[in-house]
Formats: sequence, C-alpha cells, structure tokens
Amino acid sequence: MIEARDVSVAIGGKRIVANVDFDMRPGEVAAIVGPNGSGKTTFLRALSGDLAYSGQIAINGRDLAAMKPVEAATVRAVLPQATTLSFPFTVREIVRLGLVGGRSGVLPGEDEHLPERALSRVDLDGFAGRFYQELSGGEQQRVQLARVLCQVWAPVLDGKPRYLFLDEPVSSLDIKHQLIIMGIARDFARRGGGVVAILHDLNLTAMYADRIFVMHRGRLAANGSPQDVLSDDLIEKVFGCRLKVGALPQGNMPFVLPQSAA
Amino acid sequence: MADQSIAGAAGIMATASEGDRSGRARIVILFLCLGLVLVVLLSLTSGASDASAVGVVHDWLVGAAPGNEMLNARDRLIVYDIRLPRVILGVLIGAALAVSGAVMQGLFRNPLADPGLIGVSAGSSLGAVAVIVLGATVLAPFTSALGTLALPLAAFCGGLATTLVLYQVATRHGRTSVATMLLAGIALAALAMALTGILIFMADDRQLRDLTFWQLGSLAGATWQKIGSVGPIIVLALAAMPFLARGLNALALGEATAGHLGIPVQRLKYTAIVGVSAAVGASVAVSGGIGFVGIVVPHLLRLAIGPDNRYLLPASALLGACLLLLADAVARTIVAPAELPIGIVTAIAGAPFFLWILLRKRGVVDL
Repeated sequence: MIEARDVSVAIGGKRIVANVDFDMRPGEVAAIVGPNGSGKTTFLRALSGDLAYSGQIAINGRDLAAMKPVEAATVRAVLPQATTLSFPFTVREIVRLGLVGGRSGVLPGEDEHLPERALSRVDLDGFAGRFYQELSGGEQQRVQLARVLCQVWAPVLDGKPRYLFLDEPVSSLDIKHQLIIMGIARDFARRGGGVVAILHDLNLTAMYADRIFVMHRGRLAANGSPQDVLSDDLIEKVFGCRLKVGALPQGNMPFVLPQSAA
Repeated sequence: MADQSIAGAAGIMATASEGDRSGRARIVILFLCLGLVLVVLLSLTSGASDASAVGVVHDWLVGAAPGNEMLNARDRLIVYDIRLPRVILGVLIGAALAVSGAVMQGLFRNPLADPGLIGVSAGSSLGAVAVIVLGATVLAPFTSALGTLALPLAAFCGGLATTLVLYQVATRHGRTSVATMLLAGIALAALAMALTGILIFMADDRQLRDLTFWQLGSLAGATWQKIGSVGPIIVLALAAMPFLARGLNALALGEATAGHLGIPVQRLKYTAIVGVSAAVGASVAVSGGIGFVGIVVPHLLRLAIGPDNRYLLPASALLGACLLLLADAVARTIVAPAELPIGIVTAIAGAPFFLWILLRKRGVVDL
C-alpha cells in the first residue's frame, strides 16, 4: 500500500508538484502519464525519497520520511530514466549492485546466481561479461532493470508487498522489449507486488495499467481505470492536442497496437 | 515451475563466471602480496652502505649466524634504524596515497580525481608548512600541546578544508562536474601555495632548506618516531576504507541510485572525505608532495581487475606500496651517494602516464 497525501515539491523556490494525492494497492500497476514537464519524474523522486516534500507519504503504513535508506531499499527499487557510468563495470557487476543494500528475498546462497536470472528475464542472456559502457541505450536500460529486479526479486517479503518505481522503463526500447518489460511489471504485480511506472505510450498504458494517474502542470488532473480516464476531452485538456480515443485510421493506413501481441 | 528452476540453475552453472572478475582480482591481490614481500626485502638489502645487510635480513629470517656478531651489530643498526623505518614509511605512504586516489575517484565518480592534482595535497602542505614555520612562535600553544602529532594534524586539517570546499564547489544536485573539479582544484592549490609562499617568505635560512627538500617529497629522514606519529593515522584511515567499498561501488551509479540501493550516501561521502584527508595529510606531513601515485595505481589496476572497489582498494594499497618502494630505490641509487627527492621520480614517471590516460580517454570522458 502506498499512500501519498497532499504532496508538494519545490525545487529552487519553484513549485514543481502541487497537492498530489496518490494511492495504490499491491497487485496493481499504476501508470503516471502527462506531458513533458508536468512533474511526473519529480513526483516519483519524492516517492523514492530523493527530494524534500511537504505532505505525507507512507509505504506499507510506514512514514517514508522516517525510513532509513536500507529500510526503503527493502520495500522498493527505483529505475531511473538513464544511468551513465565513468568506470568500466561489466554488465554482471552492475546487476549485482542490486544486491548491495536490500534483500532480494531468495534463499540464502542463491543471490550469487540472481544476476544471470535477472538478465535472462530482460532478454539479455549472454550479456553478463560485456562492458556496460559499450551497450546501446536500450540495452543499458534493460541492464538497469535487471539490477532493479535483483533488489526486490521476491514481490512479497516477510508477508509485505514490495514495489517497483520505474521512470520511463520502455522509452528507449524496441517494441518487442517494450512488451517484455511491461510483461515483467505485470507479472511482478500479479505475484503480489506493486508497480509505479511513468509512461508516455498511451496504448501501452491502457493495456498494462490498472490505474492511470494523469499529471498536468504539477497537479493531478485525473486518476482511475484506463476506461474512465482516457477520454478525448482529457487528452485535449492535458496534452493540448485533439485526438480521438478508439478511432481507426482512415483508409488502408497501417497501424500496430501492442494489444495485438500474441 | 520446479523444472523451470532446475533448468535455469543448470544454465546458470555454465555462465556463473562470465563478467565476474572477482576470481581474477583475488589472484592479482595474491601476486601483489608476494611482490610487496620481494620489494620490501630488496629495499632492506640495498642502499648506499655495503651489501652485508643481506646478512642481517638473512639472520632476521632464518636466525643469527654464529661468530658474526660484531659485523652484524653495525649492519643491524643500518637495517633496523635507517632502512626498516624508511621501508615501513614507504609502504604506509604508498598505500595511503594509492588508496586515497582510488577512494577520491569513486567519490567524485571520475577516474581523473587525485589528491595531488585537485589541490588536497597543496592544502595539506599549507597546514604542515604553517606548523614548521610558525610552530615556535604563533602556533606554539598548538605545537607544544600536541607534540609530534601537531604536524600531521595540521596537514590533515589543511587537506580536509580543501576537500570540503572542492566538493561543495564541484558538486551540484549529486553530479560532479569534472571541469569544475579540476579548475577549482587548480584555484585552491594556487591559493594554498600562495599562502605557503607567504610562510616560506617568513622562514629563516634553516627552515627554508628543510622546507625545500620536504616539499619536493622524500622518504629520507624516516625515523621510528615519525612512524609513531603518522603510522596510526594512516593505518586507521586505511582500515576504514574497506567499509566504503560497497558504497563506492553503488555510488558509481550516481548518488540518487546509491541511496535507492540502501547506501547512506551522506555518511559515506563524509567518511570518505575525512579518511582521504587524514591519509593524505599524514603522508604529506612526513614526506611532502609525492604526486601521481594516487592516479597511476588505481588506473593500472582497473585495467587488470576492473573497478570493483572491494578488490580495487586493497590491490591499490599493495601496488601503491610496491611502486613507492621501487621509486624510492631509484631515488636512492640513481645519483648515489646523493639522493634524488622521490617526488621527482614519481612525477617524471607519473606525469607522462597521466597524459597517456587523457589521450586514451579523449572523447570518452566528458569534461
């Protein structure tokens, strides 16, 4: 259970997030959508404990502000948008860092093999020995996701749900890997964990999210199920462009939706 | 489900070592241990005095040869009171400088950070020179209260102040700008050197000679007393560093991510800064400015065993000690019976190496 009440964040005197209420239950994938600069990442950073905020945030009933880094690391893992390195770590060494502070939740002794298992999940079998800096952006993103998965490998630990906070997890991925990664998020929630993901692709969002939080100019513009939230009016109001939900392209213009995946 | 996990486990067995360089790192560390023993023995048995010191080391290792006591008494004096303290000091300072370099590079998330290059050593020098020049006058209460600890402590304070200012200036929102770091280091070093210059201007002729040789960097004049005053500081700082290794590894992903992984980042940063300042301050206090050890050693090791600080830090300590002893051997013998300051040797070897790193990294490191 994540409960955020009246959360506001100011950076350098400027209010980036204003009075956001946010609730999610374990078993759910919650998507945060909104135009660029609407405060999505800033809100997620407050939820991750990176930024000072006003208001209340509680994870599993515990006040976030009172959590030590290692406590927070056992209940949630965070995937940033992009991570650059200045030292030549191998992929395996990076993924293994996921085990540095938190508790993966696998049996003792199995931790050693977790990096390979995590890499396999993100479709990076055989990449363990490669240098991170030599990978493409999409591959790096998936390596980081494997690291994040190692940190909270078991979605439920000691009877308490754990959470994945993902900031644009599929932004630099091809369509196959978008589906794989969103499938991992879906599966994590199905097994009792919770996922908060910032997404830009509304089709992918509608397909995978249980709940959508729409942010607009630092405020929450709407929240609810995809059916309730994604309307022509909301999209025009928030994104500033007139689009029709569910309209098919004219004539024989091809279109490919993730929903059609077999 | 069970089948799946068995199949998964079998697949894992085959690839477990791929990308895992810890085995190789352990072997390298083992070889460095052996290397250090060899270099120590070499240093103990070579020098301006005749080679009968081999006998002392031989006696020391396998027991005294009978009928040889008279000769051994003089040689023993040379080995125990001149060479041994010098070797121990060399090991301590080599290890301290190399580990400080590695920790600083982890802290600044940059392979070019080095206490000598970014002004930390200059700050330490200022503290040390202040004690040497003003110790009998303005700072008399300070020096008389602390005795032999006054010099390393002053050097520590100078180094600490420089590092703290540098970190504040160069780091914004958890990102350290290399350009700002290097330029701020130049500015701080210039300021520290200018203040040092004022102190040198005030020094008398005897102090002046001491200062000049001290600033060039030298292990000459190593005594048990000096080891007693700075040894504990360096040993303590070195002993604290391994506890930073995991945190520094996580820090490579950025401060925010290290925090997400459960690392108490602020505490890590301040422990690292205080530890580095203590190690560098103590080194500078006894041996002056010995440059480039802190950048050359970790860089070579990263090529061999990778950047994992759990292995990089101990390996740096060992290789730093080896290289400094070898540099000292060169300094002692190349213009024998006179002696070259060791700082000149490390700079002549290290500066071209640094340029080579820059050439290799050109276009890769974003300045």
